[in-house]
Amino acid sequence: MEIPYTVKPRPDTGLYNGKLGIWLFLASEVMLFGALFSSYVLLRVGAADGTWSMGLMDIVVGAGNTMVLIASSMFVVLAWAQLKQGKLSGPWSSPRNWGYIQWKWATVACAVIFLIVKWSYEWPSKFVHYDVWFKNSAVLHDKVEEGYHHDGEYHKAELWGEEKDKKFSLARLYVEKEIYVERFFKTYSEEDGGSHKAFNKAWDTGSLALSGHINGYEEAQINVEVTGWKPDAGVSESEADKILLGLGISGEDDVAKRLRSQGGLLRGNVSYDVAKRAEYKLTKSGFSVALSVAGYEPVEAHPYFWRTGRINEDIGGKPRVKSIRFALDASHHEENGETHHKEITINTADVKRLNSYEPKHSTFFGIYYTITGLHAAHVFGGIIVMLYNLLPIGLATWHRDREQYTNRIETFGLFWHFVDLVWIFLFPILYIL
Amino acid sequence: MSDSHDSPNFIQYLIKLFYLVGGVLVAGTLITVIIDVVFEMSLGLAAIVGLSIALLKASFVVAIFMHYKWDKKLIMITWTMILTFIFFAGMMGLIMWAEGDIPRWGREEVPVVWPVLASLLGLILPASFAVLTIKMLSQPTAVEAEPVPKPKAKRAASKKK
Repeated sequence: MEIPYTVKPRPDTGLYNGKLGIWLFLASEVMLFGALFSSYVLLRVGAADGTWSMGLMDIVVGAGNTMVLIASSMFVVLAWAQLKQGKLSGPWSSPRNWGYIQWKWATVACAVIFLIVKWSYEWPSKFVHYDVWFKNSAVLHDKVEEGYHHDGEYHKAELWGEEKDKKFSLARLYVEKEIYVERFFKTYSEEDGGSHKAFNKAWDTGSLALSGHINGYEEAQINVEVTGWKPDAGVSESEADKILLGLGISGEDDVAKRLRSQGGLLRGNVSYDVAKRAEYKLTKSGFSVALSVAGYEPVEAHPYFWRTGRINEDIGGKPRVKSIRFALDASHHEENGETHHKEITINTADVKRLNSYEPKHSTFFGIYYTITGLHAAHVFGGIIVMLYNLLPIGLATWHRDREQYTNRIETFGLFWHFVDLVWIFLFPILYIL
Repeated sequence: MSDSHDSPNFIQYLIKLFYLVGGVLVAGTLITVIIDVVFEMSLGLAAIVGLSIALLKASFVVAIFMHYKWDKKLIMITWTMILTFIFFAGMMGLIMWAEGDIPRWGREEVPVVWPVLASLLGLILPASFAVLTIKMLSQPTAVEAEPVPKPKAKRAASKKK
């Protein structure tokens, strides 16, 4: 079927259909992203003073990625200009003589780099980065003293006069080490005591946190005990025994039968995962199970997605995680060219909230992942379209009708510039404001 | 684009322009970062500076990369985009209004009429956007040729629909 007006402009609109279509699509995109942008503004303006999580973004990486996208935007329009001159391909060795195909691949490369930086660094680095809030500000104070008062690095500064109490010494420490001043109180000038006021408020509301990485933790070793068995769960005796045997008890002397009828310890000192799996299987086949903590084992790990609920998960009245080895962000020293972060131990009993920088962390990260995710989806879609246009099936259009293909590439370029345009606004909003 | 814009010389000129705009965009990004790192600014000032540079960069992208500079006579694109941005501006305006309506210490109370006006605006903007778009699309518009004013014929055409 011949599609009209793919090359010549339609007389009433003055545009070929593809171009009108893409502009209407871009108009709808303006509204889509406009809604998200205005949501961001509303949330930003509505956030209580000093609570917006700024300074968590790596501005150098962000700026680098911005430039990669700008370059891709330039390459895509250069590719179109080459097509306009009728030059499909040129030698790879001399960029001055590159044709459409070379510039287009360069665009794809930039887009892929942009996504790789997002996917392998920007997003995941936040999932392993934690903020920890304490139930009691006195504990926070002790932890700050422990974490920042070492190697003679910390010395008292005369910022707010006499040391009145722990609260003020902590405030001074915070200011001196720029732990939170830079991050949460950026909007306050120090002359008017703005930081002081904001700090007091943060202290009183318990919204001060320490940030860093979890290097390891003490995790519960669990005893799995069978306390009874109900025969009316639809599982026969032999089947129930088979399940017990499958969970690693010895098959001798009717151990399974005794466990089923009298109950008793099934397995001792197993890890959380093993215990939970056993509990699930047993409960499903009519057993009642009691888990209890036998002890705690130190685990070396770099875990993802720890949360308050998971560290405090109740196992026979005790928490799943007893303590966390927490490497503080802002307290570090250089040794043999390597950066060492000061590590402190935090008892989970003192923790009010623990969260990595995932959407649940804060409103900022909620909207951050929404907007950058949608934008990345656009970049991904763009890559697919570009690859299609570069494949023989896409290039067939060029061999059939050069102008139609050129227009198609122009249309794609308009979309791609829009994606770049969105990022141009996203960059200052997310990284600077 | 008209035929004169397809000439090889013009394309060569365009390519030079594309490189130039690429340089401007990279410079704009660097300036944004440098300003943020070097100067301590209040949120309002940072917003004005950061968004102004972004707006400048965006207008370069739209004007040159999207060759809007040579397309702007086309009423379809211009009006579609203008109306979209009016819609967007209305949305931002509504947010500001809503934000201004929250009573706070040290802020004068806002008269009741403002939220009412705000909600009216919220209805009028999208509605007018839709009406104008439909009207525009249903009207044949001569692009290259000079528009000949025929008010009576137009009215008759719209009545038919």
